[in-house]
Amino acid sequence: MIITNKILNVDDYYFDVFMSISQALTGFTVNELQSTGLTETYYTYILGNLDAGTFVEFLTVSKNVLEKSFTEDQLKNAIVSEIVMNPGMSDIADKVITLWYLGTWEGAYINDLSYQEGLVWNVMNAHPPGAKQPGYKSWAVEPVNSNS
Amino acid sequence: MRKPTHKKDVIIVGTGIAGSLIAKLLTDHVYSVNGKKFIHRTAANLRFKEILAEIDFESVKKLEHLPASASYQNEINNSKDRTHKEIDAQAAKKNIDPKTLENRIGLELFKTYFFLEFYHEISILMYEAGLEAGVELDSVSSMTNYTEYMRTFYTQEAKVPNSPYPNLKQAPSPNVLDVAQITPPFPDKKGYLVQFGPMAFASDAIRVGGGTTLHWLGTTPRMLPNDFRLTEKYGIEINKPDSSDKSPINWPIDYDTLKPYYEMAEFEIGVSGDVSKQEYPIDESMEEYYGNYVFPMEEIPQSYMDNQIIKGLKDTSVKLNFEEIQLLLVPSPQGRNSAPNLRYGNTKVIRAKYKKPGYSLVLDDSEKEEYKALGSIWNPYMGERCEGNASCVPICPVQAKYNALKTLKKALYKINENDNLKRNPHIEIKAQSVVYRLSVDQKRISKVHLRRYTSKEKTDFIEEFIDTSDSIVILAANAFENPKILLNSKYMVTENGRQVEKTVANNSDQVGRNLMDHMVMLTWGLFPEPVYSYRGPGSTTNISSFRDGKFRSEFSAWISPLDNWGWSWPAFSPGSDLSEFLGQGLFGTDLKEALTYRLSRQVLFHFEIEQLPNPNNRVTINNQYMDALGIPRPVVHYELTDYEKKAMEQAKLASDQMFERLGIQDFTKYNATDPNTTVYNNVRYSYNGAGHIVGTHRMGSSPDDSVTDSYCKSWDHPNLYIVGAGNMTTLGTSNPTLTLSAFTIRSVESILTDLEAHF
Repeated sequence: MIITNKILNVDDYYFDVFMSISQALTGFTVNELQSTGLTETYYTYILGNLDAGTFVEFLTVSKNVLEKSFTEDQLKNAIVSEIVMNPGMSDIADKVITLWYLGTWEGAYINDLSYQEGLVWNVMNAHPPGAKQPGYKSWAVEPVNSNS
Repeated sequence: MRKPTHKKDVIIVGTGIAGSLIAKLLTDHVYSVNGKKFIHRTAANLRFKEILAEIDFESVKKLEHLPASASYQNEINNSKDRTHKEIDAQAAKKNIDPKTLENRIGLELFKTYFFLEFYHEISILMYEAGLEAGVELDSVSSMTNYTEYMRTFYTQEAKVPNSPYPNLKQAPSPNVLDVAQITPPFPDKKGYLVQFGPMAFASDAIRVGGGTTLHWLGTTPRMLPNDFRLTEKYGIEINKPDSSDKSPINWPIDYDTLKPYYEMAEFEIGVSGDVSKQEYPIDESMEEYYGNYVFPMEEIPQSYMDNQIIKGLKDTSVKLNFEEIQLLLVPSPQGRNSAPNLRYGNTKVIRAKYKKPGYSLVLDDSEKEEYKALGSIWNPYMGERCEGNASCVPICPVQAKYNALKTLKKALYKINENDNLKRNPHIEIKAQSVVYRLSVDQKRISKVHLRRYTSKEKTDFIEEFIDTSDSIVILAANAFENPKILLNSKYMVTENGRQVEKTVANNSDQVGRNLMDHMVMLTWGLFPEPVYSYRGPGSTTNISSFRDGKFRSEFSAWISPLDNWGWSWPAFSPGSDLSEFLGQGLFGTDLKEALTYRLSRQVLFHFEIEQLPNPNNRVTINNQYMDALGIPRPVVHYELTDYEKKAMEQAKLASDQMFERLGIQDFTKYNATDPNTTVYNNVRYSYNGAGHIVGTHRMGSSPDDSVTDSYCKSWDHPNLYIVGAGNMTTLGTSNPTLTLSAFTIRSVESILTDLEAHF
């Protein structure tokens, strides 16, 4: 796994690590995560709401996990042993996954967009209630397969 | 204390669907001076055009020439002031000679007031407890305000029915988040309601412009004929207040009486549905029940999930304790825009027809225009069709779902001769005005007392009252607020030479009693195949089989909507599913797959169980419990009887059989810690509120056992009407909004008759 080049003009070495580990944790590609339009918002939000040392530790562990894994299986195993099995790390990983899937951090939405951009609505082939309305009668047929 | 404001013909407390319907229907009519009766505005406009055609306008040049009767002199003078200011402003802006403009505007004014020579307008004042922003219905303000509701909804953690709307200290609302178990004798008082239990009342409402229709789901079934005659058909009797004597349950009207008004309500709300697909377990044929009739708009499509369930359940039956019941899966009529039904024909007008000695309302279809769906209040081209936002509760972003602001806007704005909307000057709404007490003089309601708070942030208020001795007062607040205001209103009478204290409208001792709701028992599980829930309106299909039947002598009837929104209501999905899988250590593609599997198969069945009227289920007030404005909070005593509990047992039996037949893996769990839970025959059942707060000022045929007559008029006071779901004598298995709308529309016949004395 190679850490991608900087995509956003974020002057922060760890940002790419954050995006790559988010990809591994959520099952959505960096590009799909980018399309929420919230990557930078989320990153800076975590920086402001998590003890900096703890976040840096999480990103350092993540960086090691990413750098020493060359296949998907290796990456999965490394995440299990280094992050999931490590209570402090797994807690942050859960928060990061929840942020992407629901748009919340410790139960609160980051902003009105974070609710609408929750990935959970994509995996159920639906849309966030009250936004991205699919149109009249769409609910009467099987949804378009988003995995095609 | 300020001096009383100018007299009005009608005072309406509340801008929800009941208040708005009355305001709209009254402002649609004017009093014809020559005919000595009320006629519809369109008829008056036509006649007035003929009158104008006979006038030589060249001779009318100056404001001073207005042939005004003294009664309008005040209004004219005010209007002149306004007009002169406007003339000066416009003249300055456009650089025109004020004189030229004066002639033009003067002519407009002349027409306005000349009209009043022939036709008198009904003057109306409405009070709304919610914020001013919620009743400003011009396009810009209403859109700005609604956008704020939407933004709030997006950011609320718990997206409960009240979540998008202002949570006011000065006019608090019951909220489902405050519902908790009660340990008698200690009340639960953390919310707005003071709940003594033993069961918590589980439903909410919202005090905001447009009322609770802002977050209603929009399902609009009519009541069934037998719902109006439970005693006659099933021998059900209930206790008299504070006694073990039994008394029959008497609705003063039956289904046939209400039928034409159901059609008017369906027109005003804009109901989508297919009459030919309605099937109910009733003795009457559907021809008798609906007659030769179609809904204004075509059926809202049933969801993909509905169709998978229908495939599995069609033509099967379930076995309850003593009978086989055939399953009828019916597309639900809804107050939600689809495509207009061409067979419905042109648009209609609800018009009062004079028939000695009063009025009857008719649904007149002499209009030339075809029927069109009415979109949002800020832009009629938005929300002309349901767009599948799937957030009807708590808020429809495009207002394709009906809400009472649409009706209120029709009261506030009338179409002028150029087909433009023009603000109707004869109706006024004062918001941030919390009505809390009525005064009585010689039986008449003589004053309405209110506290007007000055801002959203502060609880400072101005004490006001309005003299209503020559007005008609209409309480249309909601089934908690109406009885609360009444119980807070005392007056003295002399009986047998002694002074006796009475409570307004309460000679029957029924005010605040018979509080009812539907017990919503939910059952949920995983369908064997993906059904892709979380899409479409909240519910598009219901099982009507249990809405009526012999069993009603033993236990409640119920309606079973299928819910399109997965397990979000009972289990807080999808958030809870994510937590569960994270707890199992899932991440990446495994997590994604687990979520996809779980969330695309979630089904929810919902059993809305009828509650019988019970005089002990009641709203009272108590000076110990006051809100921030020093107004009493509703104090609620509430319990279930075995009649409802047995229905939960039977509904669960029905659910189990349907789940088994469909291969649904049952995930239903009722916990001892649930806020609303009960044990019957050693089995636990939990339920939610349906948001159906009804019964607290029941209508009846006799002043002895009811608060109002069938026209929602108080038996005890000649100028007081009390309208809303509180008038329902029983609840039936329908969502109450359509029924309350029907009898509220009917009440206008009596209001118009009473108003004649004012003109």
